[in-house]
Amino acid sequence: MMNVPSKTDEIFDRLSKGEFICSNSSEQEIQQLYAIIDNRYEDLKEYFAQIGFDLKRENEYFYMARRDESKASIKRKIDKYFKWIDIFDFLKTFDNTIDPGYRFTISEIHNKLDVEANLKEKLEKLSTYTRKKNYRKSIQKIIDMLCKEGFAELENEVEGRYKILASFKYLEDMIMNINIPDEIQNEISE
Amino acid sequence: MLYFNSIKDLINTLADTKELLSEMFEKRKSFDYKYEYAIQVLNKDKVQKLIDYGILIRHEDQLEMDEKYLDFFEKIMEVNENINAAYIDEQIQNLKDNINFYLKEDNDYRKQKFLREIKSDLRTTGRVIIRNIISLNRNITNTFKTEPNYKIKKLKLEKFDQKREKIMQLIQHTENLISEDELTFFKSVSDDELKEISNKLQLKLNEARHNLIESQKQIIEYINQIEHQGQVLEQIRQVKYLKDQFELKSKTNVGQVLGQNKDIFFETRTTYPVPVSLDALQTDEAYNIIVQLNRSKNVDVKPEREEAEPIDQDYLTSQDSKKFFINHETVKNQFMATGDNLFDFIMKYDFSEEVNFYERVTLYCQILSEYEKELKVTDNYQQYKGVEYAVVLPNT
Repeated sequence: MMNVPSKTDEIFDRLSKGEFICSNSSEQEIQQLYAIIDNRYEDLKEYFAQIGFDLKRENEYFYMARRDESKASIKRKIDKYFKWIDIFDFLKTFDNTIDPGYRFTISEIHNKLDVEANLKEKLEKLSTYTRKKNYRKSIQKIIDMLCKEGFAELENEVEGRYKILASFKYLEDMIMNINIPDEIQNEISE
Repeated sequence: MLYFNSIKDLINTLADTKELLSEMFEKRKSFDYKYEYAIQVLNKDKVQKLIDYGILIRHEDQLEMDEKYLDFFEKIMEVNENINAAYIDEQIQNLKDNINFYLKEDNDYRKQKFLREIKSDLRTTGRVIIRNIISLNRNITNTFKTEPNYKIKKLKLEKFDQKREKIMQLIQHTENLISEDELTFFKSVSDDELKEISNKLQLKLNEARHNLIESQKQIIEYINQIEHQGQVLEQIRQVKYLKDQFELKSKTNVGQVLGQNKDIFFETRTTYPVPVSLDALQTDEAYNIIVQLNRSKNVDVKPEREEAEPIDQDYLTSQDSKKFFINHETVKNQFMATGDNLFDFIMKYDFSEEVNFYERVTLYCQILSEYEKELKVTDNYQQYKGVEYAVVLPNT
């Protein structure tokens, strides 16, 4: 019997659903799980490998992949990837310094719509995913999606302040991993 | 424009208008100070006097403090945010000149005067360098955190890096001055105070150098971060553009990247339903959970109970039936009380109903097998109506 740390079941439960475990989460439980994985990374990696999962350590967050074939179809992957390109682009348009640790409220995004037409246009296009016409509700829906996938969390309920988690880098890496050939880059105007 | 005749005049004027001047100095960065605000703080004549003497400058309805005074206040209060490398440079030049004058001067009294100036210059040089480094570090952090445009941010940081380089050179010059260039002066002058001041300066320069190395690291880190941010912004712009043009799949390796991707993030959320074991369901705990779940479902409609069919009348009317059966125990007991053999006893036994010969033979066999231990089977065999039987007696 392999020696695994306590709470391995909880860790598996979260990671096997495609969630992330981030070091900068405000939730005490997540912080605890992060510390456990951080201390026993090699043991856990070996343990999960035996049941077909690959535990991955990135900069301040953990997630899981399969060792064998992915169970998601290429179409599903592309659809999901494209959705997150749009959302990532929207957030970077709101504020290009948005990164793990960044804090914001729905109102801050909403207020910026009036001064930045580009942002408003992008939000309108996101209605494909949000299915909301009302701007505020649409922003709320996007933030809900961010939280559900584990890229952000509601840090202060009273002030309605959200925090970007370390896993946000996952999205960035996914986008940076795409190789655009030089000649195509040159075609795209400034 | 009017000029002050004496320092006394100047100080009196400044003291007389201190409310307005200190107010304007505090707000020097936050907003443009209007003439109408000024006349609420100070009476019109006094404001006019400040303008006449060139302490304040009026542009239409706006007022600002003259550069000379602003600079003076900032320097004295040590709040200048600007890094002024030229000022340090000038300071070093002054120092060199004064040392030169000192060495050339023969008059003792004038010599002492130059020495005093040299000491003062040495004291200020260290302080000015340290103050500039503090400003530099503050400016670096502020620019990184507050400048929204990443291209300007990068340029500003590069500029600060040049200033850092310049300050580093000045430190080097100052050190050379003390330990090499003007060695003659520092060795020849036997003044304890000068020695102490130059020692302190050397310590300060050392500290400054360490600070600057930290600043350099900070600038490099910030510039790297900004470059990375810039790359990310450029990449997302291009990826988004290609996606919106429906060209991302055909023109980039996105298909290949996602094809190889095995992250669970892309999969539909799987749950692993495990049925509850029957044993667990029978516990009180499970019962409470079931009751709670049932309550949470909040079913208003109660399930309709199916009514059973009426009971058949025939079922209710009793039907008596009599059945004759032989109690083996009674027969055996009565046999035990006689001295007869079992076969004859059964043949002669008076049952309440008619029992034929074959049934009696069967009964003989049944009792024999049932109560074998209480009976004694002898080796004596007899015949009756064509049936051979063993003589069985009570086992006494």
